Amino acid sequence: MKITYNIHLIWVVMMLLTLCSYFVGEVGSGGVVSVMILLLAAAIKAVLIIRDFMELRGVSFLWRAIMYGWLSVVCLSIGIAYLVSL
Amino acid sequence: MSVQLSETEPKLLPGDLAIWFFIFMELLVFGIFFIVYAVMRSQNIELFNEYQLTLNRELGMANTLLLISSSYFVVRAVHAIRGDDVNRCVYWLYAGLAGGTGFLILKAVEYSDKFSAGIGLGTNTFYMFYLSLTMFHFLHVVLGMLILLAVVIKAKRGAYSADNHTGVETGASYWHMVDLVWIILFPLVYIIR
Repeated sequence: MKITYNIHLIWVVMMLLTLCSYFVGEVGSGGVVSVMILLLAAAIKAVLIIRDFMELRGVSFLWRAIMYGWLSVVCLSIGIAYLVSL
Repeated sequence: MSVQLSETEPKLLPGDLAIWFFIFMELLVFGIFFIVYAVMRSQNIELFNEYQLTLNRELGMANTLLLISSSYFVVRAVHAIRGDDVNRCVYWLYAGLAGGTGFLILKAVEYSDKFSAGIGLGTNTFYMFYLSLTMFHFLHVVLGMLILLAVVIKAKRGAYSADNHTGVETGASYWHMVDLVWIILFPLVYIIR
């Protein structure tokens, strides 16, 4: 199966997610929901960077596991530390 | 412009394998830094929430947009050299460097604002983490730009082509890592509260 992806669209999506993150921070006064939205947006952008900018789509499982594992541990730890502090 | 990929045997990592071990090591250090920040924040919530408000969130957002765009330009450079178009590759690398320069300038403005207000690493725990984490990243932006500059110089000397462009991919991979860690750093330090 051939996979096509449009690098320009990915760039636009990442810019929009950044603007969304900024406005989530500005309109809200923080809290669990906004933090989860922020972490989700950051994780989506990170996946796009790893998969399409770094072009790790299709490399061997070990390398992808290291990168996505790192991303998961960092985002989950930030989320858990936030929840624990409530 | 779409890029086609066939999903058969695993691809090789783009660029030199050595840069990837360097990237993994940097990600490990940044990852630990992020987690320590998150834990410290959970133990000093009022302090972190209060002083986070003194940060220039607009500059942080502008820097995020700049770094993402700069990363995108560097992807275009890699695609250009794969098409054997050295001039366009150099052009996009310059665009990437311009994005990085913009990031450093905005960062310098942000720091000068803080330092002129008498804020430093010793002011309090929040500023110690904010300054050390963002300065650590600042140094990586500088290093990433030096790597891209070296790639530009070699490209202009004709060192790269469609058949031989590992160096371009190597520089690009490192630059994307610099962008990747900022993508986490920005919401963590500037927005989460």
